[in-house]
Amino acid sequence: MMATRPNLVRDVAIAAVALIILLLLPYVWPSKMVNDLIIRVSAFALFATSLNLLVGYTGMVSFGHGMFFGFGAYAFGLSMQRLGVSIPMAFLITVVSSALLGLVVGAISIRLKDIYFSFITLAFQMLLYSTVIAWVPLTGGDQGLMGGIPRPPFLGIDLSIEAHRYAFAVTIMVIGLLILRQIVESPFGYTLRMIRDNSERATFLGINVFRAKLTAFVIAGVFGAIGGMVMALFVSGAYPEFVNWTMSGEGIFMIMLGGLSTFVGPAAGALILSLLNDVITRGTEHHGLFLGAVILLFALGLRKGVTDFVADWFRLRREASSRSGS
Amino acid sequence: MARKRVDLDRRTVLKGAAAGAAATIFAPNIVAAQSKVVRIGMPTILSGRVAQLGTSSRNAVQMEVEKINAAGGLAGRQIEMVIRDSKGQPQEAARVSRELVNSDGCEILLDAEASSGSFAVQEVAKDLGVLVMHTNSETSSLTADPKIRIPLAFRSCRQGIHDAVASGAYAAEIAKAKKLNRWGTCSPDYAYGRDNTQLFVEYLKHFYPQAEVTTEAWPKLFQPDYTEVITRVLQSKPQALYSALWGGDLTSWVDQANIYALFSQMEVFAINMADYTALTAVKNLPKGIHSATRYIKTYPATKANAEWGDAYRARFKEYPTNWSWENWVGINFIAEAAKKANSADGKKIAEAMRGLKIDCPFGTDGTVTMRADDQTVIGYAIGWGTTIPQEPYVPEVKGATWDTILQLEAEWKKRNNYT
Repeated sequence: MMATRPNLVRDVAIAAVALIILLLLPYVWPSKMVNDLIIRVSAFALFATSLNLLVGYTGMVSFGHGMFFGFGAYAFGLSMQRLGVSIPMAFLITVVSSALLGLVVGAISIRLKDIYFSFITLAFQMLLYSTVIAWVPLTGGDQGLMGGIPRPPFLGIDLSIEAHRYAFAVTIMVIGLLILRQIVESPFGYTLRMIRDNSERATFLGINVFRAKLTAFVIAGVFGAIGGMVMALFVSGAYPEFVNWTMSGEGIFMIMLGGLSTFVGPAAGALILSLLNDVITRGTEHHGLFLGAVILLFALGLRKGVTDFVADWFRLRREASSRSGS
Repeated sequence: MARKRVDLDRRTVLKGAAAGAAATIFAPNIVAAQSKVVRIGMPTILSGRVAQLGTSSRNAVQMEVEKINAAGGLAGRQIEMVIRDSKGQPQEAARVSRELVNSDGCEILLDAEASSGSFAVQEVAKDLGVLVMHTNSETSSLTADPKIRIPLAFRSCRQGIHDAVASGAYAAEIAKAKKLNRWGTCSPDYAYGRDNTQLFVEYLKHFYPQAEVTTEAWPKLFQPDYTEVITRVLQSKPQALYSALWGGDLTSWVDQANIYALFSQMEVFAINMADYTALTAVKNLPKGIHSATRYIKTYPATKANAEWGDAYRARFKEYPTNWSWENWVGINFIAEAAKKANSADGKKIAEAMRGLKIDCPFGTDGTVTMRADDQTVIGYAIGWGTTIPQEPYVPEVKGATWDTILQLEAEWKKRNNYT
């Protein structure tokens, strides 16, 4: 525990600087398009980083993580529309309900390994997707939650104002990533890495692997749902596409593009994928072809994410300087 | 001549590349001669399963914009369309719409999205305060429900409740004449399919109370094999069958139902059959399927409609679709309202558009009206007829009466607490 203290101070400092930069950005670069992009990236960064807690840190390749993203969007939207509660209350409802969902789905899924785990998570996601499509009176079916999500002001924050919405989204992202960072750097985070590398060894060391995996699954689910909530606030609605398997696919792409061996990799991947999507959609209708080609290039050609290259470059430089120094 | 070598260090290149990329990606095009050109943003579906509908919307708008621009544009400002693909995803429709307004400097949105996308675009329009014309969303609540309606949003296309009344009235007349009391339904299992079918049955019974639904089949959206659905319908032996299947689903279903000779065993009412995309895709189009007109150049049987259909076909080598005429109506309402207001300003156009009547090849009497109280179009041609396997596919169409439609629509609105 003592060893994590300096890291905590460093992480908080980095998060504070990042937050200040993001909050000042609209004043330096007043572009609504950049603001919109960063809000969406905030949602996706939480989603992809939480997925990486499972994929990269625990070795559980979930194909159904989009379930939490969509669930978060619907839970938040429905709480606001139907219950008429305040935004912090709806946030709390989203967090608690997604944790319960994670607990139920996780308790069943993590008993299975490898591809079976991947597929059962996908199956749960499709179950939720079908429910959203079929339960028209509650969810609006394929048309999504119609009529907009109300955004009543709270604590002096009015999310119907674009500047407030932007500040809220980036603050949630930075705090969310900071918490996730503390989790992966904690003894629990290292337990997850041990389970990933050798779960038998972890069992023999007296670790309750099931409980550790389930905890990771629930935490990932909650942060995935918070990502969905940010997205719901941005589009003022929730749509079945958020719960569809393609959302899980995009999460995996983000991790692949950004790199799974660094903490910020998935967030960088979220930025890259969003940028690629926006730029390619502007230029061509054959965006699937171009996006697919880029992903193929990463998967087959580079075999690493962008931040993996950056990390390697730093490592090599450090090694070179230590060699020359010695 | 010796070439001068330009020294570029890595940092300079990186800086230049970053600046270039940023300029390309984020360049605000708002400055693009705002006073001269008025940009209209058009999010639509240009890829995926229903791309043909999006493309046909774009085609129709391009044809009309050329004419409007030749006649002086919007109050002297030339229209420049900025058309983007939303992939049929509502969140993309929202993103693209915001981008069109915030970054591309579009002052008006022509929303050629399917229903779910149109609700997302409506939220963007509400947020950004821009004029939006929904050209394809048939979901009645978009304009009927006062909780969803906004002052700057209009609709230029058909809507579910109008279709349901017209369909119920037509089907009831046939049912009365042929004593069709036992009905079956076979519609796609999602919001549109369920809503459409439920409303049809409601108005069928309104006009012909003896009608009774004895079997219901709900195939999945985009289902490839309809064998089970078809055999179930055949076993229950209804005298008539109603279907809200559309597009590729409808043509697959007709092809497969043909194998079982379904069409010779019952009267079939397929609301979405009479659209060229479906009529021309079916392998052996059976004679005698009842269908509502979506777009067909023979109805309204006017010179203007036939000429427009032919001009479109001559230019794009295919017939227009249901979405084509709806976009024609959308862009022309904007142009006529701008003329009336003598301004290209969204709010002034909106003001001029409420209650506006324009000449239109797709109107029952050669005109369509933008109803003032809920900002949706009325008076467009709705009719039903039966198919033949070759052109003109639906030779005779019986037009619906708008008086009946409007009266029953008013009752429907009251029942739903929309008024």
